Amino acid sequence: MKKMIQLKKILSLSLAVFVLALLPGESVSATSLPYDTYNYDYREDIHFTPAAYVPAGTVSGKSLTYNGEPIGNFVTPQDLCKAPDGKVYIADTGNNRIVVLDSRMRNVENIITTFDNNGKEDEFAQPYGIYVSQRGWIYVADSQHNRVVVLEQDGTLVQIVENPVSESLEDGYVFVPLKVTVDYADRVYVIAQNMFEGIMVFESDGNFASFFGTIEVEISLWDKFWQRLATKEERANQMLYIPTEFTGIDIDPDGFVYASNIDATGVQGVRRLNPRGEDVIKKGENGNVGGDLWINGTTDYAGASQFTDVVYRDNGIYSCLDRKRGRIFTYDHEGNLLYIFGGLGTQQGTFSMPVAIEDIGGRLVVLDATRAEIIVFQETEYGRLINEAVSLRYDGDETAAVALWERVLELDENNELANSGIGKAYLTAGDYVSAMHYLKLGMNRDYYSVAYRRYRNSFLTQNASYFLTGIVVILIAVFVGKRIIKKKKGGAQDE
Amino acid sequence: MSKYFSKEKVKYMFYTITHPMDGYYWIRHQERGSVPLAIIMVILFSVCFTANRLLAGFVVNDLDPRAVDSLYELMGVLAFYLLICVSNWSITCLMNGEGRLKDIAIAVGYGTVPISMVLVLATIVSQFVADDEQAFYGLLLGVGIAYGIIMILIGIMQVHNYTLGKTLLTLFLTFVAMLIIVFLLLLLGNLLGMVFNFFRSIYIEIIFRT
Repeated sequence: MKKMIQLKKILSLSLAVFVLALLPGESVSATSLPYDTYNYDYREDIHFTPAAYVPAGTVSGKSLTYNGEPIGNFVTPQDLCKAPDGKVYIADTGNNRIVVLDSRMRNVENIITTFDNNGKEDEFAQPYGIYVSQRGWIYVADSQHNRVVVLEQDGTLVQIVENPVSESLEDGYVFVPLKVTVDYADRVYVIAQNMFEGIMVFESDGNFASFFGTIEVEISLWDKFWQRLATKEERANQMLYIPTEFTGIDIDPDGFVYASNIDATGVQGVRRLNPRGEDVIKKGENGNVGGDLWINGTTDYAGASQFTDVVYRDNGIYSCLDRKRGRIFTYDHEGNLLYIFGGLGTQQGTFSMPVAIEDIGGRLVVLDATRAEIIVFQETEYGRLINEAVSLRYDGDETAAVALWERVLELDENNELANSGIGKAYLTAGDYVSAMHYLKLGMNRDYYSVAYRRYRNSFLTQNASYFLTGIVVILIAVFVGKRIIKKKKGGAQDE
Repeated sequence: MSKYFSKEKVKYMFYTITHPMDGYYWIRHQERGSVPLAIIMVILFSVCFTANRLLAGFVVNDLDPRAVDSLYELMGVLAFYLLICVSNWSITCLMNGEGRLKDIAIAVGYGTVPISMVLVLATIVSQFVADDEQAFYGLLLGVGIAYGIIMILIGIMQVHNYTLGKTLLTLFLTFVAMLIIVFLLLLLGNLLGMVFNFFRSIYIEIIFRT
């Protein structure tokens, strides 16, 4: 008997070893990536998800040729932009040139180094920002020449935007444009160096119009109190309360400007400015569009995310690029975080100094200034499902999104957006019990409440007869019971 | 045992809840209260409190259930109860209070009963509450807690034979005393730790030298 047991033990052990050895070292996609993909849930806890985007190669200058000659490496490129016709424009800042790639970023279409400035040949000095308008004009923020150069597709000069004149500008102000974008009416929005008043807007004729989207400084009551107490010398030593500068800019087809800025508190790193320059961004459930929520700590790696660029994608979705930890944060039009991925490092798919982000044909590309290359990210099934479902919701078609959300739940069981999307669809369909179940999982109190109220009403109306009967029965029972007790007591007294 | 948990005592507790003035007076003068019963009521209160935090309906409950630890809360409630009783007793001793520690413990312990009952009731009600109706839930809780606090106030007033003004004054001083006790406890703990560390380092030194 004992031997049998021992034999069994040995057998089961060897079987276990055998099975374990047979199991392939399951290659989870997350582990082979150089970064984690995650999101913050309702409780602001980190919740790891499948990868939404995976690296799909890099583009650097040395692999490209133009007219049979290699174009050489980029040198600290600072901006890239997708033209309406699909071409990709890169501001190759250190080489003082603009490189134009085709939409697949394989071939060089054009290299702009010089242009004809009223008969003279002119060139760029540190072209820092680039934008191609809907009309196809190329806007180059020619930073060291203090101007924005506007060229046509064939390279002929349209106009030069320079020397802004305004009462609100100080004397001797030097205009150093860094980033530029253009709306449908050819108004030019320029982020200039050391310009804390906001984005500079130029009319289509090149005249300075106004400042736009000024970030107001918020001084807390506590700070004011201390300022009151401080002596003059102390006050001079204190930090100046100056508003932050904008860092990156993009525009959506409706003319709303998306501008990223650096917020030390990590609450709002991006603004959505309406044509009057007011911020109309929605901050979502957490009241935050500032990147990471876990920012406490004393190491260099801690601290609020620093958004250096923003790209408006389709259907209200926009992505922000964080240079602090090299992450890309994607939000929907309500300010809900969709997914976070990316990181700093030297592996493929990570960044050294990310400066610009762009959406090129559904792929996210990030320009790295130090490495002088473009890093391309391709969406996975998970990313695609979320993008499509959010787009459908943006169009108001929640029922069509359900199939997508259900697939998302198969990949990521605890996705709150998916749960509440499914719940809302059940709510419209009239299945309140399922709606409540999913909305509760999605932590969506408002809609849960709506579903619950309707469920309660239907339950009450359906069972009204039982309730009424029950009440009548109870009333009669109480009445009769009282009578009986009275009689008994009365009888007792009689005796 | 039956002395503490007799039917009469339990009945008298409910009488005290409905007639606090009268009830507390006779608790002081006729031994009609029971300290073990009061302690059990405090434990029950802790259970109800945790239950409310864990089980209240989704619409009114924004707590992360993972953040609720019933044992930890029980210990906290008991420690707080002890702290209140001791500090109130030490203050009222100096201020001509007639109550004994026993009476204070009963006054506070019985005072938690309406709060516990309302917590249970509110937890049940919260299951049937939708948005915009949280006010009912809040009102229910508020009324219960207010009743409990008033009961404790009356209890302390009656037990010590104070006027209302003096009761409020002693309660404020009780609060100060609580802070002092906590401070002293922290200080004591710290000092004991230092003494312990001193002997420990001597021990380590000796071990290493030999």
